Amino acid sequence: MQKNKRQNVKNVRSVIRQTVTGYAGLSLGIVLAVAGAIVTALLPPWILGNIVDTITAGNAVPVALVILYFTFTVLTGLTESLREGLLTVFGQKITHALRSSMMEKYTNLTAGELTKQEPGTIVSRFVGDVDTVENLFTSGIISMFADACKIISILVVIWLKNRGLAIVLLILLPFLYWFTRTVQKNMLKAQIENRRAVGRASGHVPETLHNIRTIHTLGKEHYMEERYDEYIAESYRAVDRTNFYDAIYSPVILILNAIVVAVVMLFSASGNAKVLTLFGMSAGTAVALINYISQIFTPVESLGMEIQTIQSAVAGVHRINEFYALEEVPEKYSGQKTAEPQNRLENPFVELQNVTFAYEDDSRKILHHLSFQVYPGEQVTLSGRTGAGKSTVFKLLLGLYQPGEGKVLIQGRDAFQIPENEKRSLYGYVEQTFHRVPGTVKDQITLYDDSFTMEEVREAARIAGLDATIEQLEKGYDTLCTSEIFSQGQWQLLSIARAAVAKPKLLLLDEITANLDAQTEEEVLQALKRASEGRTVISISHRVNAETGRIIDI
Amino acid sequence: MRKNAWKKEQERMKQISEAVKKDQILYYFKTQWPVLLAVTFSGLIYNLGLLAGPWFEGRMTGCLVDILGGKAGYQDMLVLVTAYVMSIAIVQISRYIKRFYVRRFANNVNRDMKEILYRSLVHRSRAELEEEGVGNVMTKAILDVDDCAEGMRKFTTEIYDTGVALAAYVGMLLFYDWRLAILGMLFLPVSYVLAEKMKRNVQRTGAAYKEQSGDLSAATLDRDTNAITYRVYGREEERRQAYEANLTDYETSAVKTNIWSTAFPPLYRIISMTGVLFILYFGSKNVLGTGWKIWDVAAFTTFLSCFLKLAVKSSHAAKLFNAVHKAQVSWKRIKPLMKETTYEDDSLVQEPGTLEVSDVSFAYPGGEKIYEDFNLSATPGQIIGVTGAVACGKSTLGKTFLCEYPYEGRICFHGKELSAMTKAEQNGMVGYLGHDPELFNDSVRNNILLGDDDDPEKYLKAVCFDGEVAEMEEGMDTIVGNGGVRLSGGQAQRLALARTLCHKRPVLILDDPFSALDRKTEEEVFANLRKLVADSIVILLSHRLYLFPEMDQVLWMEGGKVTAGTHEQILEKFPEYARLYEAQADGADAHSTQEGGPDHAEK
Repeated sequence: MQKNKRQNVKNVRSVIRQTVTGYAGLSLGIVLAVAGAIVTALLPPWILGNIVDTITAGNAVPVALVILYFTFTVLTGLTESLREGLLTVFGQKITHALRSSMMEKYTNLTAGELTKQEPGTIVSRFVGDVDTVENLFTSGIISMFADACKIISILVVIWLKNRGLAIVLLILLPFLYWFTRTVQKNMLKAQIENRRAVGRASGHVPETLHNIRTIHTLGKEHYMEERYDEYIAESYRAVDRTNFYDAIYSPVILILNAIVVAVVMLFSASGNAKVLTLFGMSAGTAVALINYISQIFTPVESLGMEIQTIQSAVAGVHRINEFYALEEVPEKYSGQKTAEPQNRLENPFVELQNVTFAYEDDSRKILHHLSFQVYPGEQVTLSGRTGAGKSTVFKLLLGLYQPGEGKVLIQGRDAFQIPENEKRSLYGYVEQTFHRVPGTVKDQITLYDDSFTMEEVREAARIAGLDATIEQLEKGYDTLCTSEIFSQGQWQLLSIARAAVAKPKLLLLDEITANLDAQTEEEVLQALKRASEGRTVISISHRVNAETGRIIDI
Repeated sequence: MRKNAWKKEQERMKQISEAVKKDQILYYFKTQWPVLLAVTFSGLIYNLGLLAGPWFEGRMTGCLVDILGGKAGYQDMLVLVTAYVMSIAIVQISRYIKRFYVRRFANNVNRDMKEILYRSLVHRSRAELEEEGVGNVMTKAILDVDDCAEGMRKFTTEIYDTGVALAAYVGMLLFYDWRLAILGMLFLPVSYVLAEKMKRNVQRTGAAYKEQSGDLSAATLDRDTNAITYRVYGREEERRQAYEANLTDYETSAVKTNIWSTAFPPLYRIISMTGVLFILYFGSKNVLGTGWKIWDVAAFTTFLSCFLKLAVKSSHAAKLFNAVHKAQVSWKRIKPLMKETTYEDDSLVQEPGTLEVSDVSFAYPGGEKIYEDFNLSATPGQIIGVTGAVACGKSTLGKTFLCEYPYEGRICFHGKELSAMTKAEQNGMVGYLGHDPELFNDSVRNNILLGDDDDPEKYLKAVCFDGEVAEMEEGMDTIVGNGGVRLSGGQAQRLALARTLCHKRPVLILDDPFSALDRKTEEEVFANLRKLVADSIVILLSHRLYLFPEMDQVLWMEGGKVTAGTHEQILEKFPEYARLYEAQADGADAHSTQEGGPDHAEK
């Protein structure tokens, strides 16, 4: 049964929606905690008002009232604490879900998209960008919602108390909106630029580590520093621009606040009867209104603070959605029964029927109507000129790409449709360079597949002629791999062990001779031959030795 | 002359004393003093000026009452209102300056730290770097500096916004009723002590979180670098599940550290607020005339609102502690990397000379001997071929010249011992090209020149790569991709060789530079190599032997022994060498193939 039934996750929004509904209890808890914090915060001032009234009337304050005041203060603190805690958990659930679904997406990317991704940018997409989305919830959207509620309720109160002021505010609001949007847009631009520069700078670090030997021997430390400085300077300029908008927003809002207060004061002091029908007020109302005005500007001001958080999240979301839009491998026929492999010796094991292929974004056709068959147990060598497409044939056989025209068949089945869990026992692939994975020597051979017994692992090492070398290591197969423990040739042998451990029926050897001397190559091929009767071998090689069997010209 | 030398010495001393300071956090505050001065100035104006708002608002209300009562005119209000707007503008402009420059300060620190960190990283030996995981170094360098600079920013901001403001409020409370003020503030220290106690948890969970986030980056990086391998072997589903496990661990540690740093501040505030019980009780007594002081209702409300602001501010102080703790965790991890900032010149390219190697043997620290009896005498212009079976130690022999690990015996150039040279002299003597072409994600041109001023064309010609580059869409300015992924194996090899030739050294070690080239190209490149580096000694490690008759000397490695001689001598002495040579001469490829069409096509 194929289990990779794909979810229809196509962007950040749908992941968030799924998380909210998936953790309904948690989401409800947050709503309650947020509402609770607002309500409990409203009560202490009301009790305090009563206390002040009692004193003004010349009476002693009852102790119970004092305790009640303090109790509600404590409750406010507790609900706030609860809200923060729940928000943290919720934010982490979102990041977890996002990364999970991004990894799922990554698993489904086409081979072309996979090779296009640069490790530095992928890490910043999965780590940095997702973190900004988390901030969106822990310190962005929810407080923004609360602030919006505040603004509306205050506007209503002002309308009832002083219509003129409400009109002034209503005239001002479009300007405020325009100003806020301008700040938002410019900040978004600077943020995206910064993230790009940060991506480049953080990609520079692993590159340096990887190329450290070249940097040292060529004495290019200084050059590398300069390049890093350039990336940092780019990010510096972008951050500086963000800082400008971030710093200018609140002061502008508060100066506006003062101007509005000044205007209202001037109008109510004008003495003009017509003006006073709109602006007239008593001293008490003036005090109240000054408070209300600053109360309406305070949430707008904190909106400015939240802009910073939300904008960087939007930049992150933008880039994550770009990632979600990358091309995916078409879904394999899951559920439907895949054709049974044909095991009969007289049928070709591998067959290309009239295959034409071109990589995307490249009009050049690599393969033109190519056909050939390889029968079970045969050993063949692909040969041809530079760019003739020898490695491309391998990539088609490995199911990395689909042919434009024609068919690529292994045991009569479409190579692209071979299920993941059958791949290893069907074919082993040995490349020119060994791809080391983090972990032990055993992990290199099994690629973390625990279904292999230790005996099978040893047998694979024996086939590769590496068993003695591995046994000599301090912890044998459990030695953690660093690049120094094996020589280049031994790593190559290890990749043969990796290919052979599942005893595949077909071996694909791509330029295997490039890093092996003739003697070792011979030994390895002999060993592989001995190890499994009837194994089919297809290789690409510069040298044509007697051992390589039939030659297929491409 | 002497004065100059003295000046240089001074300069050097200054650099050393600076180098010592760069792992002190104070250094960053000191060097940023102009920015911090601007922050201090505007910060003080802003925080003290905050009192102007309420004061003017009171006066304006009073004025309105007077106008309504006919005691004042429109003109008085106009003057008051103008002064009000002006003073708010000054305060808010100071605020803008403070906010902007505090952030610029953090930005500067961030940049300086990253640059120092990178300089320290790039000068570290390969052995040192190998011992730490790539993902960890990356998070250290990027995330930690960000956290650390952010912590320093918050610290600086809060010094003014909390520190100065707190002092003002405390002063005001003491002025109104010192006994009640002390009674009310009794609980503030409790809140601080508690925050301090929690510090350990914040730090512990913070460190655990950092580690998890390092693991997550490393796992992400691995998943991406080995993507094709996992796909071809059908391991993607299993890798996805392993990543899922990583994510779960990360989530747990992130929740822990965040709960400690965000859910606790409101609780600290509750404790700070406990004093309000006394203030309400004794304060109301003051108003009623039965307390320590005689108050009116206005004094009561002012005292109360001052105290409430103080309690809120002091819970910010607890928040500030947490930010500083977070910064400390990061700083602790960065600090050891910040030492040693003076470095010698990158390399001193040396004149051609003779190379004398006698009785050299090599073993990795704690390991067995890889080879011994390495003897060689070479003069400028000679090309020396080195070969042997796989894992015979060829590559190790080549890397011996890099002095990454100590060797035994003597390697003399110009009569000077290699291991006794400075790093700059060593780098100026030996050029090295290993299996990995170690290309940079940059243009073809920059990959060859690496910042030097030269004509890349002639090196491209020498390695027979000029034609292919000219055909590329952007020619010499084509970006080769991360690690050269957009090039085929053979193209990457030739580009790396062009780079090595551009940075010529009197001794060049080339480890299998032609492995992905077809024979015809190999021979052509070899001929060009002879011409282009006619005064260098080239040590060429290879397992393809058809060029070996043209070598000036051949080193044959077998059973840990190294034997030098001419091709003919080795042929005679070692049947294994003869056998390999014959086998390859027979089976020489007739196709003149070259690997890598497909990768090439993927660009």
